[in-house]
Amino acid sequence: MGVMRIGHINVKVMDMAAALQHYEKVLGMKTVHTDADGNAYLKCWDEWDKYSLILTETDQAGLNHVAYKVEKETDLDELQQRIEASGTATEMLPEGTMPFTGRLLKFNLPSGHEMRLYATKECVGTDVGSTNPDPWPDDIKGAGVHWLDHCLLMCELNPAAGINKVAESTDFMMNVLDFNMAERVMVGPNGDIPAATWLFRTSTPHDIAFVGGERMGLHHFAFFLNDWSAILKSADVMAKNKVKIDVAPTRHGITRGETIYFFDPSGNRNETFAGLGYMAQPDRPVITWTEDQLWRGIFFHSGEESGSFTTAYT
Amino acid sequence: MFGIPTHSIAIPATGEHFSCKDHEALLAAMVKLGRRGIPVGCLNGGCGVCKVRVLKGSVVATGPISRAHVSQEEADANITLACRTAPTSDLELEILGKMKKSFLAQCSKP
Repeated sequence: MGVMRIGHINVKVMDMAAALQHYEKVLGMKTVHTDADGNAYLKCWDEWDKYSLILTETDQAGLNHVAYKVEKETDLDELQQRIEASGTATEMLPEGTMPFTGRLLKFNLPSGHEMRLYATKECVGTDVGSTNPDPWPDDIKGAGVHWLDHCLLMCELNPAAGINKVAESTDFMMNVLDFNMAERVMVGPNGDIPAATWLFRTSTPHDIAFVGGERMGLHHFAFFLNDWSAILKSADVMAKNKVKIDVAPTRHGITRGETIYFFDPSGNRNETFAGLGYMAQPDRPVITWTEDQLWRGIFFHSGEESGSFTTAYT
Repeated sequence: MFGIPTHSIAIPATGEHFSCKDHEALLAAMVKLGRRGIPVGCLNGGCGVCKVRVLKGSVVATGPISRAHVSQEEADANITLACRTAPTSDLELEILGKMKKSFLAQCSKP
């Protein structure tokens, strides 16, 4: 019971036509619906629910909300009580508030980011179906990403002022929503300040991550690819389409993932992420990265800070 | 070169100059200063790290910029993002915000 996985993300874009071109042609998603307000709903080929990305055209970039899917409708009622009991206000949005989607439990994380939980979304099946399926469909475009995998939210961290929204949001996710911690970065003279955390409900090392910064925001959202060769092919696709690559193909020490970071046409950072990392389990010892080795954790090969990786986000 | 109009961009705070082609983004041209401290962010108008003020000269927008990082009042005061702005004349630029600190810190004067 409880949260199963990331379900969808609603991001702001400044040019819908450019955004659709990017998510369809470069990432290989398909537009499945456009609502009366002009929001576009997109799906990856290996996902079975109706959509995982909603693009909203406005005058800025960044996150509107991120949603996680729970197993049962009754989970929403139980979690609403637990969230309210923790001192966080909630709102239950009725079925039909979002198309193809049941009730949505809406609240803000301690960091300020809007999160929603839902149990029901129309199941349309993967593009290869569920009966004697092929391993992949014939009409994949671009990188052909499999599914929306995780997101990384930037949280205000100012130890001198006693502000640590990374710690507060992490505690909320673990204590109230039963997430487990896979890895963390600890900083400060005594190494006792949590500056970043990677949390999971699936069996992979992260379904959400929090990193400390000067203001809240969306650092990136990531899509799954099978392996290193798929990552290199996705880099080819980005070059062919003149996409700004932020970080060339490399490996993370944290989560062991193979990765590329790049920007959508509104400056939202995307990641294609490969590899299941390792088997994440609630009883697996938490991995700690120390301040002197944190960039080795982030970019394992170079071990060095890269450009504006921590300062540029939407 | 090649008959493409090129403008001279001055940064009075550091005494630096660089050249920028007509309709080339200021940030793309600024990178050719070839030094550290030019925080190239998303390049697409979303993250706000390349905030500048145009002190003198005329520019055109090359795409939308995020209202979360440049307010209407700022835009009216000639503040914009260097990744989404191209010169149509010689310019004088002031580097603002997060970019200013690293830009000035990494400026190695002879």
